[in-house]
Amino acid sequence: MNKTINFAKRNFKELLRDPLMYVFCLGFPIAMLFLFFFINKYSGGNTPTFEVKSLTPGIIVFSYSFIMLTLALIVSKDRQTFFLKRLYSSPMKDYDFILGYAIVGFIIGILQTIICLLTAFIIALISKVEFIALPNVLLLFVTNLPILILNICLGILFGTAFNDKSAPGICSIFISLSGILGGCWMPLETMGGFETFCKFLPFYPSVYLGRITSGATNALKVLYKFDGYAVVAITTIFVYMIASVILTIFTFKKNMVSDK
Amino acid sequence: MSIISINNLTKDYKTTRALKGVSLEIEQGKLFGLLGVNGAGKTTLIKILCGLTKKTSGTITVNGLNLDSDINSIKQIIDVSPQETAVATNLTVLENLEFFANIYNSCDKEYLNNIINTFGLSGVLNQTAKTLSGGYKRRLSIAIALISKPKILFLDEPTLGLDVFARRELWKIIENLKGKITIILTSHYLEEIENLCDEVAILSKGEVLKTGTVEDIKAQTNTQTFEDAFIKVVKDYE
Repeated sequence: MNKTINFAKRNFKELLRDPLMYVFCLGFPIAMLFLFFFINKYSGGNTPTFEVKSLTPGIIVFSYSFIMLTLALIVSKDRQTFFLKRLYSSPMKDYDFILGYAIVGFIIGILQTIICLLTAFIIALISKVEFIALPNVLLLFVTNLPILILNICLGILFGTAFNDKSAPGICSIFISLSGILGGCWMPLETMGGFETFCKFLPFYPSVYLGRITSGATNALKVLYKFDGYAVVAITTIFVYMIASVILTIFTFKKNMVSDK
Repeated sequence: MSIISINNLTKDYKTTRALKGVSLEIEQGKLFGLLGVNGAGKTTLIKILCGLTKKTSGTITVNGLNLDSDINSIKQIIDVSPQETAVATNLTVLENLEFFANIYNSCDKEYLNNIINTFGLSGVLNQTAKTLSGGYKRRLSIAIALISKPKILFLDEPTLGLDVFARRELWKIIENLKGKITIILTSHYLEEIENLCDEVAILSKGEVLKTGTVEDIKAQTNTQTFEDAFIKVVKDYE
């Protein structure tokens, strides 16, 4: 475990010294929250999707996709610069590598969630609207855990499977999908068949569960509640999460051999 | 006493045979050079000895341990400085050294300071690796390889791409390591091999063509210079 922690520390330092991390993982989610707050404010405040309780869980889920990008970049760069090859000849095991990257993604994810919630809290104060109740804020961390793990795994997976030139491109497709198909800023509940399609992808179920936790209302002014679909959403996101964990471990182990 | 014994080693890739029945004995404490043109099989041989690539056939023992069954024990006593500098670019020089020391549970401060002084890294300790010159990056890369106190050190083209001054500086450092640990050095710079190595193996197209000291090889080929000897050995084989 010491080797895992040592490797995680190195990864954390590498990322903290990369300005792109601040732009993508912190700057972008904060900017998105303020952007939609102003759009809502200056368009009459009639868009429930842009209200704090609805927007915050969506932006948190969306912001995790930047963790995927960040991890994909560091993993692919480590492979490209032969840094990993050098470590393969050390007594480090494959789980030291995977956990060393995953722990960093997890810490950044938690920090990102805190910053998104703090920003949303400030927005709620400015706009004088009710903020998410404290127990629900804490519950939101738990609700978001599966999608965070999914993004961490996808980051390691793309970094392992692609080089540092193509991994960002693949990630940007997933970032776009996360934003659009997650319904972060689009009222999917008004889109009929398209919503049904999105329900079976990992992004919308995560946003949906987050909105139940935050006590948001949807575009049709109906309160998100723990209904039959919530059970389907939990199942869906867990299936994707488990599949991504298995695929990442398998791909990393396989590529570790071929990289050598 | 041999610290590395290689017997009839072969390595096949999909369409090519990179190593064809290589047999070598490398003695403890020696600086052993693997010399060959590009594609001779030097790096493949080092990768196999480090456990980075699987061999196709043959037997290898390292410090009396079988490479097939004792690779984890072997990894504790070897280290490698690859052709590429392979350091953590956003970490400082000191952080890089500490990171690798922790991987090998080798947290001896005195030894760390000794390494820093030997490699002349004290002036750049707090500089991130990405800001170092090529020469300093190489020094750091070799220093990292020594931080685990290895019994056997593999140096794969250690001076590749360095200017003549940086190369000479690095030679001095490598020369100082002679006798303390076993070093296996690959290079296609004849001058480097001639100046540094106690013993040499000339490889071409995956085969060992000659082994011995530089003087032995010159005598065996009736040549005046090592360059002529090398060319004769390779040409005769082709």
